[in-house]
Amino acid sequence: MTVSQEPVAETVRLIVDKQLNLSAHGYEFGADDDLWALGMTSLTCMGLMLAIEDTFRIELPEEALKEGTFRTVGTITAAVEAARPTSGTKV
Amino acid sequence: MRKEGVSKTERPTQADVVIVGNGALGLFLADELVERRIGSVVVVGPSDREAGASQAAGAMLGCFGETTTESLRTDASRTRFELGVAAHDRWPDVLDRLEGYSRTGSPLMVTPETHVVLNSIGADLDTVNFSAMIEALDEYGKPWEEIDPREIPGFRPRLDTRALRAVHLPAEGAVDARGVLAALDARLRATGAIMVDQTVRTLVRNDGEITGVELDDGHVIEAGTVVVAVGARSEALVRTALDDLDMVPSFPGLGFAMLARRTGGEPFRSVVRTPNRGFACGLHVVPGPGDLEYYGATNRLVDHVSSVTWMADVRFLAQYSMQQLDERVASHEVTRWLAGNRPVTLDGFPLIGWLPLAGLYLLTGTYRDGFHCAPLLAEHVANELQGKPGTIDPMFKPTRRPIETRTIEWSINEYVEHNLAGWFETGAEAAPQMTTAQIADYYRVMATKFYDTMGIDYALGPDILWYAQGSLLGARRVARYFHRLAGGNGSQPAGTATGEARR
Repeated sequence: MTVSQEPVAETVRLIVDKQLNLSAHGYEFGADDDLWALGMTSLTCMGLMLAIEDTFRIELPEEALKEGTFRTVGTITAAVEAARPTSGTKV
Repeated sequence: MRKEGVSKTERPTQADVVIVGNGALGLFLADELVERRIGSVVVVGPSDREAGASQAAGAMLGCFGETTTESLRTDASRTRFELGVAAHDRWPDVLDRLEGYSRTGSPLMVTPETHVVLNSIGADLDTVNFSAMIEALDEYGKPWEEIDPREIPGFRPRLDTRALRAVHLPAEGAVDARGVLAALDARLRATGAIMVDQTVRTLVRNDGEITGVELDDGHVIEAGTVVVAVGARSEALVRTALDDLDMVPSFPGLGFAMLARRTGGEPFRSVVRTPNRGFACGLHVVPGPGDLEYYGATNRLVDHVSSVTWMADVRFLAQYSMQQLDERVASHEVTRWLAGNRPVTLDGFPLIGWLPLAGLYLLTGTYRDGFHCAPLLAEHVANELQGKPGTIDPMFKPTRRPIETRTIEWSINEYVEHNLAGWFETGAEAAPQMTTAQIADYYRVMATKFYDTMGIDYALGPDILWYAQGSLLGARRVARYFHRLAGGNGSQPAGTATGEARR
C-alpha cells in the first residue's frame, strides 16, 4: 500500500478495513466508531499495529501500545501523526 | 572453616572482574573466581534483590521432576536437560562449603527428596509429562518408586483433586534459596570479594572493548572484564553498550510464591509437586526452613521486570495449594510474598558466552533452573574468563540464531495443550454441550491466526506464544526480531542441526 498520495486518516481507514474485514461484510464505519465494538480482538489489533507501523515506517512509542490507541480511526491517526518524524511530511 | 575477613564496604574504582548481578549465577561465579584467585572480584547488586528470580526461588534441585515431553525430544533440549543432570551432582560439595557461613539456624538443604503427584485437575499435559518423567528416570538410571499418594507426609488434598498416582524421587531435594544466597554473600565477604549494594546503570566501553560499569549514582568501576548476570534485566543492560546487537530476545517470566508458617496438621517433609504444566512449573510445596513452607509458583511473561503481581495469581496459588496439596494451607500464616522475574529467552535456551565487545560476557537466560545450574555454570564461565576450554556445549552463545526445536504445527498443538491444562485447572466452564475438542479448536484457531498475522516461520514455545498474542509490545519485539533476521542475512533461524525434531 502506498501512503504518499493519501492523507494519513484515509490510509489508516484502509488498513483498518483490511485488517478487520469490515466493508466486505457490509459494515460502514466512521472515524469515531469504536473498533473494539466492531469485533476487533487482541489478535486483529496486533495485526493492525504491525500493518500501521510497516505502512508508515514508524515505531509507535511504547506508551501508545494500548487499547485506547487503536479504538478508532481517529485515535490511530493521531498516534501515527505524533510518531512521524515531522508532522505532515509524507513518507 | 569460616575465615573472618576484613569487611569490604568501600566502593572500588577498579577491579579485575566486575560481576553485575548478585543472584545465584553472579554469586556462584564470584565464589569460583575467588577460589581460583584470578584477581579482584567485585559483585554489584542491590542487597534486597528486589524482583530477582533467585530471591524468590523455590530452589528445587530437580531435573527429573521438571521433565516434560519436550525435555528429551530434540538434541538441543537433551543437551539443555543434561546441564541440569550434571549440575545436580555439584550440590553436595556446594552445601558442604556453604553450611559454615549460614546463619539461618536450619540446614541449607531443606529436604533431600521429592514426590511428584499426578492428579486429574489439569489436563492430558500432566499425564504425558508424568510418563515422560518416568521414562527419563529409567533412561538415565536414576532411582524412583511409585507409591500410594496417601503415604506422602503432609499431602492432604481435597478429595475431588486427590492424586491418583505418585512417584518418589529419593535423590531430588531442595535448598533454602534465601539461606544459600545469604551464606554465599557471607562467604564472599569473608574471602575477599567486594560486594557493592547498588545497581549498574550502564556499561562503559571504549571503541571495541568494555572498560567498566557506571553505577546508578554515576560512580564508575573500571574493569577489563565485565560479566552481566542480572537476570531478566540483562538484555537491557547489554544494550547500553551494544545497542544494535542481534541477540536472541529475552522476556521477564514473572513468578509469584509464598512463604508461610504452618499452624496445624502434619507438615510436609519432602518437596511435593505436580509435573510441569500449563505454561508454568507445576504447583509445588517445599518444606522449610524451620517451620515455614514455600508454595509456588505462577509464571506469566510480562513486558517489564516487575515485583507487582496480579490478584489472579495470588488466588491461583492460594486456592490450588489448598485444593491440591493440603486443605490446612487455608490457615497458614503467610510470612513473605515473593515475586521474581525469571530470564526467559525467545527460544527457551540460556545465553552464555562472550559478546562482540572485548571483555564483555553474558550469563543469563536460564529460565526456571538458574539456581540449580549456577554452580556448574560458574565453573564453565570461570574457565572461559581464564581462556581455558569451557565445560558445556557452546550452543548457548548469545549471538546465535534462535535454536529450533519444533515445527509450527507442533507449536500450535503445544499451545492448545497448555491452554487446555490451564482451562481445567482454573475451573473454567464452557456451555454444557461444548466438548473439549471445541475448546481445543478455539485455541487452535487463535494460534493459527497468530502465525498468519505475525508472518514468522519460527515456531515458538507455548509460553512465548501466549505472551506475544496478548501483548502488543511483545508481539512487536518478536515480529521485528525475525523480520530483522530475515532482512539482515536472508536466511532462516539456525540451529536445526542441533535442534532437529525427532518426532
